[in-house]
Amino acid sequence: MNNGHSDRVIDIRHLSKTYASGSEQIKVLKDINLEVNRGEMLAIMGPSGSGKSTMLFILGIFQPPTSGSYTIAGVDVLNLNRDAQAVFRREKMGFVFQSCDLLENSTVYENLELPLIYTGVKRHEREHKIMEALQRVNLEHRVRQPSNRLSGGERQRVSIARALVNEPEFILADEPTGQLDKDNSERVMDYFVKITEEARVAMVIVTHDAATAERCTRKCLLSDGVLKPY
Amino acid sequence: MANKTLQSLRAEGFLPKDRGTRLLRFSDLLRISFREVVRKRRRYIGVMAAIALGTAGLITIVTMGRDLKANLNNDLDLLGGATIIAAHFDLQMGDRQEWFRTGTIDAIEKIPGVKEVTKSRFRSAATTTFQEKVYGFNLLGVDTNYWSLFSFTPRYGRLFNDADISEGRKVCVLGQDLAKMIFGSPEGAVGQMLNLDNNLYTVVGIIGGVRAADKTLMAFLPITTAQARVPNISELSSLYVRCNTWDDVAPVAAALEKTITTYQPSKGLRIQVGWEPLKQVQRVFWWVSLFIYASIGATLVLGGFGIWNIMMAAVTARTREIGLKKAMGAEDSDILWQFLFEALCVTFSSALLGVALGMVGVQYMCRSLGTQPPEGLFAICLLAGLIFAAVLGVGSGLYPSIRASRMQVVDAMRYE
Repeated sequence: MNNGHSDRVIDIRHLSKTYASGSEQIKVLKDINLEVNRGEMLAIMGPSGSGKSTMLFILGIFQPPTSGSYTIAGVDVLNLNRDAQAVFRREKMGFVFQSCDLLENSTVYENLELPLIYTGVKRHEREHKIMEALQRVNLEHRVRQPSNRLSGGERQRVSIARALVNEPEFILADEPTGQLDKDNSERVMDYFVKITEEARVAMVIVTHDAATAERCTRKCLLSDGVLKPY
Repeated sequence: MANKTLQSLRAEGFLPKDRGTRLLRFSDLLRISFREVVRKRRRYIGVMAAIALGTAGLITIVTMGRDLKANLNNDLDLLGGATIIAAHFDLQMGDRQEWFRTGTIDAIEKIPGVKEVTKSRFRSAATTTFQEKVYGFNLLGVDTNYWSLFSFTPRYGRLFNDADISEGRKVCVLGQDLAKMIFGSPEGAVGQMLNLDNNLYTVVGIIGGVRAADKTLMAFLPITTAQARVPNISELSSLYVRCNTWDDVAPVAAALEKTITTYQPSKGLRIQVGWEPLKQVQRVFWWVSLFIYASIGATLVLGGFGIWNIMMAAVTARTREIGLKKAMGAEDSDILWQFLFEALCVTFSSALLGVALGMVGVQYMCRSLGTQPPEGLFAICLLAGLIFAAVLGVGSGLYPSIRASRMQVVDAMRYE
């Protein structure tokens, strides 16, 4: 049994997703096969309606595929019950979303503390972990700032730090540079490259931005539900 | 098929061992919920005020209910004597007239629910002569309880006091019409001397009060004086008992007969209770109580619905936040507890405010009614408030919390 010590983090085999729309069956993802290793940064590109969001939700274990298998660090995640999926997400995965979803009316510290609370990290250990994650994105000086007083780039960096705070094995990013200007986009991608190399995490970035994809170690194109190397 | 559990993942080494920090998570969720309510306090102000006022009203009414009844009892009693029980020994043909013994009266005073007892001696067809005219009237020897028990007040002058009774003073109180008949005017009677069986009594007052209308042609002496100086005065064959509230009337009436029978012969005993006025008073109070409790209940239910409504709106407005938290690894129970704690924070804060207001209300009512606050008032109020807050918080927050916790991550993440 693979207990997570090999380099393979994500392993997807013959994965398909079909939605029912009335009597019609819409096949959104068709026979997807994908592997992502530690230290690897994969960009999944594709135009709107190509199935990128569905792919992202399945990768995040937010919804199950219609068929196929999906393992993360050797665990068949489709075979987990609801609570086990939640625990698996917080122990093994980090998420960065396009809209820099930070909790409103909360400080940077409080945003980063939440995953640690769910994981059950003791209070005195939290500050160290939070500061370490913020140092990786050079935002340690903003730790007590309310999240709504941050710039777009800073918000995205906080979002990255929050994804890192639980030291995940796999980070999933959805259009992480979608709302940023060129300079901030490049800076965010610099952090991603650095984190992937230093922390040896597997990263999947879903994007339609070619410049963002260019910075990744591998690129795939999702078109009409079919995933191909790009 | 999703069948692999968390325990099996931990056992197989795919996840670290459980950190055993469920309690810590619980306290953190409570802290987060409290922070959330404090930061969004403006949206809760209306329902908090409603719940606080409802709780304060409930505490005041529940705590002061008995004192309020006792006070209303005094006021309403003037109209019908609903809480007065009369006990008489009727004269039995061929038998000696029975009378109330001192031991019996002492025992009656100790019956639970008895507020006061008064006894009287009676003489009919007493006469007096004033300025060569003879006047006839009924005479009653009474103690000081007689005045308070029947709510009599002095119209002019004063009524008997303890010294008049204990020293057997030669003083008397007259009914208004009798005083007018003998001395020309009631106010002019005060200070005059009344000749009764060759004893001169100083008129100290004229009886007044709502119930004085049927005593206008009577004269009153201290019971000790009447016993010592008035020939042919009756034995203590009548006594009157006033109960604390109308709820005490039935049990006291039952206990009264039993007590008298236990302590002395009870031949010819007759217990009189004004059941009809009692029922009417109870009916009026029942309707008033129903109205008050219904008003408080409506306020609280509206408060509860307010919280329910706000929580439902919050769940909808925070759908994306719920999705985000679930994506970060929050279990369904984490979301449920957070929303439930938020509802409980609102109800507990409101209840504590209500307890404070309620205590002020109780103090104010105590001052108005001239009573003392019940012992352990703070503990009673706090306990009532907290129990109430817990019930209301769970009642109004549970459904929105369950709804939030059951939300699918994918639906929540797609929510705009």
